[in-house]
Amino acid sequence: MPKYAEDPAWSDVEPLPQNDGGPNPLAAIAYTEEYSEAMSYLRAVMASNDMSERVLDLTEDIINMNPAHYTVWLYRAKVLFNLNYDLRKEIDWLNDTALKHQKNYQIWQHRQTIINRLGSADGETAFIAKMFSKDPKNYHVWSYRQWLVRRFELWDEGEIEAVEGMIKEDVRNNSAWNHRWFLVFGRDSSAHKEQDVIERELEYAKKAIVLAPQNQSPWNYLRGVLRYAELPVSHVRDFALGFAPADSPDDVRSSYALDLLADVYEEQHQKEEAIKALDLLATKYDPIRARYWEYKKNLLEQPTAAA
Amino acid sequence: MSSESPSLNKPKHLKYWTRCLKTYLPHAYIANDSMRMTLAFFIVSALDLLDCLKSHTTEAERKDYVDWIYHCQHPHGGFRGFPATDFGELRNETNAPWDPANLPATYFALATLIILGDDLQRVRRRACLKWLAEMQRPDGSFGETLGENGVIEGGMDTRFGYCAGGVRYILRGLVDGPVEGVKDIEVDKLVWCIRGSETYDGGISEAPFHEAHAGFTYCAIGCLSFLDRLPHGAKAKRQDAPENNIPITGLSNLDITIRWLVSRQTMTLDEEDAVDTRMDETDTAATCHDAHSFVKMGSFISTAGELSYKDRPSTPTQLQWAGFNGRCNKIADTCYAFWAGGSLGILNKVHLIDHTANRRYLLEKTQHMVGGFGKQPADPPDVYHSYLGLAALALVDEPGVKPISPTLCVSKDALRHLEGLPWRRKVEAGDAASAQARGTDTLAVREGAVEGKYAAMSGG
Repeated sequence: MPKYAEDPAWSDVEPLPQNDGGPNPLAAIAYTEEYSEAMSYLRAVMASNDMSERVLDLTEDIINMNPAHYTVWLYRAKVLFNLNYDLRKEIDWLNDTALKHQKNYQIWQHRQTIINRLGSADGETAFIAKMFSKDPKNYHVWSYRQWLVRRFELWDEGEIEAVEGMIKEDVRNNSAWNHRWFLVFGRDSSAHKEQDVIERELEYAKKAIVLAPQNQSPWNYLRGVLRYAELPVSHVRDFALGFAPADSPDDVRSSYALDLLADVYEEQHQKEEAIKALDLLATKYDPIRARYWEYKKNLLEQPTAAA
Repeated sequence: MSSESPSLNKPKHLKYWTRCLKTYLPHAYIANDSMRMTLAFFIVSALDLLDCLKSHTTEAERKDYVDWIYHCQHPHGGFRGFPATDFGELRNETNAPWDPANLPATYFALATLIILGDDLQRVRRRACLKWLAEMQRPDGSFGETLGENGVIEGGMDTRFGYCAGGVRYILRGLVDGPVEGVKDIEVDKLVWCIRGSETYDGGISEAPFHEAHAGFTYCAIGCLSFLDRLPHGAKAKRQDAPENNIPITGLSNLDITIRWLVSRQTMTLDEEDAVDTRMDETDTAATCHDAHSFVKMGSFISTAGELSYKDRPSTPTQLQWAGFNGRCNKIADTCYAFWAGGSLGILNKVHLIDHTANRRYLLEKTQHMVGGFGKQPADPPDVYHSYLGLAALALVDEPGVKPISPTLCVSKDALRHLEGLPWRRKVEAGDAASAQARGTDTLAVREGAVEGKYAAMSGG
C-alpha cells in the first residue's frame, strides 16, 4: 500500500530505489513494502538535501521501523535546526520513542544533541526515572545520565540521594553502584581524595554488605575504594572475618568475604591460611570458579612471579 | 539430572545458517538493516566455523558474496553498513554526509572477505587507512562515521576502538608509523583511552566511569591484542629495547581484570532466578555462589526455610548449567559466553572457566531445536546469539567446530589466510628491520602458541 506515492505533499519527489548489489546479496532482509517505500523517499530527499518540515514525518516513520539507522538521526537533527523547530516538541516525541525502543542507542545520542542545544536539563531527571521504572539497569540511560551530570554540573543536585534511593530499592543494582562511584570519584575536584570521603564510602559499602552479604556489587565497591585510597585489603580484615570466620569454615556467609580474606592472608604472608580459604572456595562456596581458585593457589606456590 | 554429554546439533545449525545465507531474513531484521554487513559477517563466519562454507556454496555464489561486499565499499575508503545509503549517480559533495563509510561495517566487511578467501586487492587500502586516521578523536577514541565538515559522529565507545585496531591489523599488520605515505593512527592515545575506561572493579566500560561490561571489555582487550599492547607479550618480548622504547600497554591491573572476567560465570539463568533476596536469611554463601538460583531451587525464602536448609549438604546441583552474564548481578545470556570467554581466550586464560557447565548451558538451555542459539532459555534463535554461541564453543575445542582466533573472532584458517597474503607480507617486510627489532609476533603466532593448551590443561 503506497503511502508517499499517493500523498500530494510528496508528489514532487522522485523516489530513489535501493541498489542491493548483484544477484546474491548477503544478509538480505524481507523488507516490507512500507519500509522499502519510505527508504526510497528518504534517499531521494537526502540526495537533494531537502530540509522541509515533511522530512520530519518521513524520518519519524523510518526511525519507528529502524531506529538504528545511523544517518537518519543526523539528518533529522540538521532539519530540526534548519527549521528552528521547537526542540521541546522534539523531546516529547523522543520520550515516547525511547520508551518504545528500550535497547536503542542512537536515540540517546540524538537526545544529547537536542538537550545540548536547548542548554537546559529541565525535566530530564524525571524522564530518566521513568526509563528506570522499566529497566533500572538500562546501560544507555546510565551513560546519558553521566553526560547530563557533567554537562549541567548536577553533582550536588540530588544525584547522590537519587542513587542511594535506587540502591535501597535493589541493593544488587550494579549500575547504581557504578553511578555512585562516578559521583564520588569522577568529579573534577580533589575533595574525593580526602580521608573522610574514603571512610564514608567504605562505611556505605559495609552497610550494604551487612544487608546482603552474598552480593558482589558492594564487595567490588569496597575493594575499589581500598585500591583507590591505596589502602591494603587487610584494612577490612576484621569486617570480612565477620562473614567468613577463620576458625569455623561451615559458617561462611559470603564467598566474597572469603575471597577477600584470601587476598588479606596473601598480603600478610599467611600462605597456609590463604590456601585454606581458596580451597573452601573451590570445593564448597564457589565451585563454579574452582579452576580459578586453583590457579590462584598455584600463583601462591610460585616464588614471587614477575607481574 | 542427565549424565549424558550434550551435543551440538550440527545439522540443525547448518540448516539455520544456510537459510540465513540463501533466503531472506524475516521482517524483524528491518530494525537491523543498517548493520547488514555485521549480519553478513555472522552468517558467513558461522558456516566457516562449521566447516561448511565451501561444501554448501558454489564458487559462483562465493564470488557474488565477495562482489556484494565490494559493492558496499565507499568511494572514499571504508565500507557502508548497508547498501541503503548509496545515492548512486546522484551522489555529490553536498549529500555526502548522509552516505558515510561506517567503522564497524568496515571491520566486518574486511573480515568477511578474508573468510571468503578474497585477497583484499580491490580494497581501497590507502584511502581506507587515511579515513581511519581521520576517525580518531584527540582523546584517542574512535567514532562510527565522519559527518559534515569532518565531524566524528557516534559515541565514544570501546567498540569503535576494537574495529579500528582490527582494520589497522588487517590492512597493515603490526607495522608502526606511516605505510606507503599514509600516516598511522595514534596508537599510544588509543591505548591510553582504553586505560581510561578501566573500572574500579577490574572490568572495562565503553568510556571513563561507565559501568563495566563484558562486551566492552572484550572490545578493549581485542583492540590491545590487535595493537600488540597487552601487558604480557608486548612488554615481555620487548625488554631488550631501551627503556624509553617500551611502548605503553593496556590493562593496568591484569589480575583484577581476570578476576572480573571469571566472575561473569553465573548460575543465574533466568529472571525468576534473579528474584531479589535482599535482607533474607537464605542469602548466604552456603547457598552457592549465586544465591538467587539456590532460592529458586529450594523454593523457600523464609527463616523456616533457612532452618530446614541448615543440615542439607550443599551439593551444587545447579553447577550443571552455568552461563555468563555481561555485568555484575545480571542474568546469563548466550552472547557473554563469547565476550567473557573470548577475552580470557585472548589473555590465554580460557581454561579458568567451568567449561563443562558453560557448554551444558549453551547446548541444553539456549541451543534451539531449529538450530542456532537464543539469548536466554526458550528464546527463539537470532543471528547475533547464534553466532556468538557457536564462537564460544569454538574457543574451547568443540568437536565439529573449527578453532577460532579469539582476537579476530574468525576461524584460525581465515586468520592464516590473511597473514599469508603476499601484498600484506610485503607491507610488513617494508618495515622488517624495525619490526624485527621489536620482536613482534603475528596474531596467528601469538594465538597459535596456546593452541591445544586448553585441551592439555583441562584433560582428566
